[in-house]
Amino acid sequence: MNVISCTHLTKRFGATVAVSELDLDVAAGQVYGFLGPNGAGKTTTIRMLLGLIAPTAGHIRLLGRPLPDPRAVSRTGSMIEEPAFYPWLTGRQNLQVTAWAGGSHPAGELGRVLDATGLGAVAGRKVRTYSQGMRQRLGLAAAMLGRPPLLVIDEPTNGLDPAGIREVRGLLRDLADSGTAVFMSSHLLAEVEQVCDRVAVIVAGRLVEEGPPARLGAIRRRVRVRVGAADAEAAGRLLAARWTTRPLDGHFVVEHDSGRDVNAALVAGGVIAESVAVEAPRLEDRFLEIVEEGTHAVAAGG
Amino acid sequence: MLWLLAAELRKLVRPLVWGTALAIVAFCLLITWGAANNARARLASPRIPDVCDQAATAQCRLVVAHAHAAARAAAAATAQLAQPGEVGHVAAGMLASLPGLLLIAMIAGGHWGGEWGSRTIRQLLCREGRRGRVLAAKWLSTWIAGVLTLLACLVVLAGAAPVIAAGAGLPAAHAGLWAGLGSSLSAAGRAVVVLGLFAAIGTAAGTVGRGQLATTALTAGPMLLALLVAGIAGLGRLSPASFVQAWMAFGPAGYLPTNFWSRFAGAGPSLGELAGLAGILVTIAVAAAIARWRFAADVTA
Repeated sequence: MNVISCTHLTKRFGATVAVSELDLDVAAGQVYGFLGPNGAGKTTTIRMLLGLIAPTAGHIRLLGRPLPDPRAVSRTGSMIEEPAFYPWLTGRQNLQVTAWAGGSHPAGELGRVLDATGLGAVAGRKVRTYSQGMRQRLGLAAAMLGRPPLLVIDEPTNGLDPAGIREVRGLLRDLADSGTAVFMSSHLLAEVEQVCDRVAVIVAGRLVEEGPPARLGAIRRRVRVRVGAADAEAAGRLLAARWTTRPLDGHFVVEHDSGRDVNAALVAGGVIAESVAVEAPRLEDRFLEIVEEGTHAVAAGG
Repeated sequence: MLWLLAAELRKLVRPLVWGTALAIVAFCLLITWGAANNARARLASPRIPDVCDQAATAQCRLVVAHAHAAARAAAAATAQLAQPGEVGHVAAGMLASLPGLLLIAMIAGGHWGGEWGSRTIRQLLCREGRRGRVLAAKWLSTWIAGVLTLLACLVVLAGAAPVIAAGAGLPAAHAGLWAGLGSSLSAAGRAVVVLGLFAAIGTAAGTVGRGQLATTALTAGPMLLALLVAGIAGLGRLSPASFVQAWMAFGPAGYLPTNFWSRFAGAGPSLGELAGLAGILVTIAVAAAIARWRFAADVTA
């Protein structure tokens, strides 16, 4: 069952198209990464998912119910951008008013989420004394209240120290393993690679790529070749005749996934390479490429 | 809905609300203290025209006697208003006029407009997406805060006003301690309705202003404008300030003012009490409609 389904989702602010014809499906129990540069439309999409703003066109189903449906939204745990709290209340009191606003007040729930996010010891302190990392944890604790079947989280590890980041990653994985779907936006690509089951990349409001992070990272493996200076011109000619090739830092980067094929082509042309290495670009590199391609495509498409 | 209301009431336990409510209570005490001292001063030195200061004509003796009698009557009226049974008129008049409007404007600004300023509105709407309920909870909690301040004023004045009057040396009140309690509580009940009106305007102002200062200004501003309009012949009858004036039946102020409204509203045409109540209810309905309409728009804070 899909916990989120978006069909042709579009949001315009005047003449500006923030999100265009977005189609997304998030299955139960998945950790789904939502990547994109600043201004790509990630937060606008999240706000539409949570009913804070209305789509200009398209449809959303949240937890199986078509939006707008306040009940579906209230069953979804959420944390948008930097979480905000009432500074004159303590951490525990903030969670209490958040729980009450949702109409529920299960006994022991506050203690559970405070312990899960490591805030038990500081729950009695006013939130105005909290560090950014503590506020981030409190935001996660608020999102987890009532064991929602879906969490929608913006930048979950923002402001956390390395130990906190590791804890939150583990927490998100544990939640997914227990059946909670997590839809998270992030700029930390290593985080997405480590935590997410699927990833969508959005550029200028359009979905440009979607799939498992491993596929996204390996979809265009490439071969990096180093040859002696005397062979450089011949090697460049041989490689360019068969594949897309570009020189980079004294190497040739060949858009092909087999080092054996590349080496064979060089040998057949009388060039002996000093090194041939197959690279699976990190998601970070791939993401930047996708963004660049997506930006060009959007610009070309008007 | 009750849990949501409980959450909103919990949020009201904050320095801004305490401070404003305490300031209103202190203002009520200060007004009483000032009125008692003014009445005593006038009793000691009645207002006698200069021409009769030294003259001993029969006409001047009459004027002097009249001035003394007026001062004694004013002092007695002030002492009577300071009795526990009567202080409800003062508390109700204060909370149903400008001090009450200021209180609600401050609370609405922090409690409702502040949800946008601090961006907590997103979290609130993600937990309770039924916006009508959120508006109702904000309105009720703001109203309750106003009513609790009214009660605090009433209780504090009931205890302190007789002491202030006695301390100022005013003559003993001619009626008993609890005389006039019925009409006093009736005035307090009417003030509760007016506080509901102020809270409704504050709730609508929050959805329009979407910020603390803007909400405070948009709560107080329209009612201050309505006060000015109330004095205009013809048009004044349709002003919400006239509705409040008619419903509360504010009279002219003595040494101890029972409102800060009638002197600003001017001598506009008067409405009946029921017409005033109907006007207040219509104004609340208009404020609710504005709030619903504005709150249905995108929330991007």
